[in-house]
Amino acid sequence: MKKPPAEITNEKARFLLCTYRPNGVDAQDPIFRDALNQAAQDPELSAWFKEQRDFDSVIVDKLEEIAPPAGLKSAILAGLETQRVVRPYRFRPLLAIAAMLVLSGLVIYPMYIKDGNDRAAFSGFREASLAIVTSGMGPGLDIRTPDIRLTQDFIEENQGPCAPELPLGFRDLKTAGSKVFQWNGHPVSLTCFHLPSGEMIHLFVTDGKMFPNLNMPVGIVQINGWYVKVQQIKGMVMMFVSRATMKEIEQFI
Amino acid sequence: MPRDLNLESVVERFYTALFRFALSLTRSDAEAADLTQQTFFILSQHAHQVRDTAKIKSWLFTTLRREFLRTVRSQTNHPHVEFQPALHDSPLTAVDASRTIDAKTVLEALTRIDPTYRTTVELFYLSELSYKEIAETLEIPIGTVMSRLSRGKDQLKAVLASMAAENSRKIIPLRRDEEAAR
Repeated sequence: MKKPPAEITNEKARFLLCTYRPNGVDAQDPIFRDALNQAAQDPELSAWFKEQRDFDSVIVDKLEEIAPPAGLKSAILAGLETQRVVRPYRFRPLLAIAAMLVLSGLVIYPMYIKDGNDRAAFSGFREASLAIVTSGMGPGLDIRTPDIRLTQDFIEENQGPCAPELPLGFRDLKTAGSKVFQWNGHPVSLTCFHLPSGEMIHLFVTDGKMFPNLNMPVGIVQINGWYVKVQQIKGMVMMFVSRATMKEIEQFI
Repeated sequence: MPRDLNLESVVERFYTALFRFALSLTRSDAEAADLTQQTFFILSQHAHQVRDTAKIKSWLFTTLRREFLRTVRSQTNHPHVEFQPALHDSPLTAVDASRTIDAKTVLEALTRIDPTYRTTVELFYLSELSYKEIAETLEIPIGTVMSRLSRGKDQLKAVLASMAAENSRKIIPLRRDEEAAR
């Protein structure tokens, strides 16, 4: 047997319907059922409810005209990324093993390349660079700024190798920051860029003289879930590393 | 942190509404942007406290408001405007009045309603939170949300009508002697 509708005064219905959102998402909420039924039957309440909804809609529409400042979202995401980078160190066994392997690589590879094997030297450089961005402890950037000019000024001031040129798409990307470090006695710079998807693309630059006889690998290769592309421009080796989708990466490099 | 909490998608989904709410509280674009950023920073630090991802929206608005109040407590010159029914009486209907004004004026009007009702009304219009979520955010009973919304909306209508009337009075007719001199 169907339950008869509960008695509700117009005053109580108004009280409830004040909280009824203008986009209609509350239509199924049982708290409004009796009040909505009453509004459907009572012309005075119906007129009040219509005016109320019109007023709410106008206010919501006006307030939706307020747009956040351009760049707020990317600034928030950059802040979160930075926080991940600087998160305090906690002992993690797998990371410790990975760090040991990296350190071993950093010690063994320089010994190995004394034999003049450019391919091995390049592999060592690539592995060491990948370890910096994939270790989970982050690259430990020396400067954090969204402004690419500031990252390049920092690299220059610290005698690091600057990118001789960048792909056109990079012009619109914000940077997370950069750092300069030594690998096998050679300076290397790292600049990190934010991609629109929120992923990062990391650019390592070093002097091509480190690998004078090496034919650089062509195209994008995948290493442990990271995409790597190497280019040699004006004597400098530029290595792009990212775990964004191939489709997005190809839009930029 | 819940395993399915993706911070980037949370930012994408809520940063606009949070910024608008922050702007209504601070009245400054720069401070609102800072407050929004700070809220997400706190989320990333304390995300483990958000056990139910369905409640993340309320959590964000609660946190933003708490951060705002924490900042305000350290300031003594926070503007506080009392609602004055006599001043805000106007013959214009609320809907007509609200159509003639812009978003900034609506924000300004929100600051003129009684502080007791103001945050409830702001959350209703700026966050699309339900009455239950507003109750959670402000940590008040549902009945209180309803009465504050009812009274707060009435005040907002009166303020907007009054502001529209003030604007119409800004068109000042020339004095007769000035007209004669012409």
